Amino acid sequence: MKLYHLVLKDILRRKKRVLYAALGIVIAAMTVVGILTIATAGQAKIYSQLEKYGANLNVVPAISNVDMRLGDLSMGALMVGENYIPEAKLPEIRQIADGEIRKALGIKDDVDIATIAPKLYVNTKVKGTSLLVVGVEPKEERKIKTWWKIQEGKYLEERDQALLGAQTAQLLKLNIGDKISFNGSDATVTGILEETGSSDDYQIFVPMQTLQTAFNKEGVVSSVDIRALCNACPVEIIADSINQNITGVRALAVKQVAETEMGMMDKMNKFMLALAGITLVIGAFGVVNTMMTSVHERIKDIGIMRAVGASRRQIIKAFIYEAVIIGIVGGIFGYLAGTLVAYGVGPLVFEGTAINYVPQYLPLSLLLAIFVAVVSTAYPAFRATTVKVSDSFRSL
Amino acid sequence: MLEVKNASKVYGEGDTKVVALNNVSLQVNKGDFIAVMGPSGSGKSTLLNVIGGLDRLSGGEVVLDGKRIDNLDENALVEIRRGKIAYVFQQYHLLSSLTAIENVFLPLLFCGANRESLDKAMGILKVVGLENRAKHKPSQLSGGEQQRVAIARAIVNNPSLILADEPTGNMDQETGAEILSLFDQLNTQGRSIIMVTHSPEVAKHAREIIFLKDGQIVDRVEQKGRI
Repeated sequence: MKLYHLVLKDILRRKKRVLYAALGIVIAAMTVVGILTIATAGQAKIYSQLEKYGANLNVVPAISNVDMRLGDLSMGALMVGENYIPEAKLPEIRQIADGEIRKALGIKDDVDIATIAPKLYVNTKVKGTSLLVVGVEPKEERKIKTWWKIQEGKYLEERDQALLGAQTAQLLKLNIGDKISFNGSDATVTGILEETGSSDDYQIFVPMQTLQTAFNKEGVVSSVDIRALCNACPVEIIADSINQNITGVRALAVKQVAETEMGMMDKMNKFMLALAGITLVIGAFGVVNTMMTSVHERIKDIGIMRAVGASRRQIIKAFIYEAVIIGIVGGIFGYLAGTLVAYGVGPLVFEGTAINYVPQYLPLSLLLAIFVAVVSTAYPAFRATTVKVSDSFRSL
Repeated sequence: MLEVKNASKVYGEGDTKVVALNNVSLQVNKGDFIAVMGPSGSGKSTLLNVIGGLDRLSGGEVVLDGKRIDNLDENALVEIRRGKIAYVFQQYHLLSSLTAIENVFLPLLFCGANRESLDKAMGILKVVGLENRAKHKPSQLSGGEQQRVAIARAIVNNPSLILADEPTGNMDQETGAEILSLFDQLNTQGRSIIMVTHSPEVAKHAREIIFLKDGQIVDRVEQKGRI
């Protein structure tokens, strides 16, 4: 039998009292876990809402205007450079974007991180009306334009299909299954988008290859949208790196949006952490109170132990063992209760948010609970050992 | 082996000042059995407490085996409690959440128990005749049994001096007699005993009786033909 055996036996025989002491810890851990779980769900929701802002980076061909001057006489401007980005440069762009994100977040594996969506714009006449036909990579485009909703039909799946903006469909009086032709190529209307309030409403989207073939633009795109949404994605660093390392293109960080996204996230995180911190402090006071009572109730026991040869250290150690056990019990139940509270309250805080339990908060809850229990026990236990043994017998 | 020199103890200050011990001197030799008698509030328990370091002296000295122990710090006192001086209280002062054997085991635990310690505790419990009650908690034991557990706990570390504060105060005569015969037995084994008591019957077991009044020794009686 060792000291902790003794403590364990003692606890098992005083179950009710120990549970009472653990209750304060349970409540503190519950509140912190509850708030964090709700915050996590809220973050996920905000992330998904933020995704509607679209791309963080825009890569366009590097075109410069050179002023033609003869003395004081302006002779107009000369456009220098290519109008297109070769598709061969897309892997380089991906490499730079993913590389910078990995560096910033410390990610090791090499799966694709950023979404890279190239586009080809062609101005042409469809049914006698001049409009913009956009060649896209259907999967990537969908990831960037998460707000797109199909009003009718279905999304682009294969070649020679066309997705119409809402206004386009109305103006040209086109329906699902109709055929359209541009520059001698045909495509079938497979879907019509809901109105977005953007220029997308007036455009026609077809798979990249279809458009490239129709206009003899194989191997080139007009621009590339890059989406790299994460809290710490170094959008501007990616832009700089692309500008320095790839010739013939110009990358622009969509700075404002990125900053707003990060700013919102940051405020949200700070607020939730502050709330959890305050709760923890208040909870800790409650715990200190219960633990002090629990120690005080045993002043006489402490006196007895000292009278039969226990040192101060041994007594404090025994109380710390007890606190660790109380912390473990409190941490586990606090985690469970906090998760339950999150499931109950979360959807009221962030309307209709699906709450998911977060397993990582269990060790957090345990550490927190043990820490609070030990700290709040050590001091009253130390105080208790400074009471004269003869006084401790008189006290009860 | 133990000498108390001019011990005094004062509680409180000014109007509320209480002199619990006033210039008490006392000598205890190996194998002595001293009874301390006197009315309530005469300072009997205080004397025991200051001898054992459960309370501090206001003046004077306590010398154990040639060394002053009244001015020791807590850690040094721990060493004295682990094997030199042990206590038996009127209220038994057992830990209510532990069984009889665990209570006896407790002092061994605090000074570093090993595998044999539990057997040793059991052996001591046998000495006081409670081996069949080892797994009982104090609340399941009679007063006499509890006191026997407390005595077992006191002697498990083989102390040379036992301080007993009215050990039979809560018992009927018959049970008290059983407990006293245990003390007699410990005394014949060579342990010194200082016992505070109200009862002249109990005091008859002692070799010397010291009478306290208002914190002073007013009489000493040597008993050659003690029980």
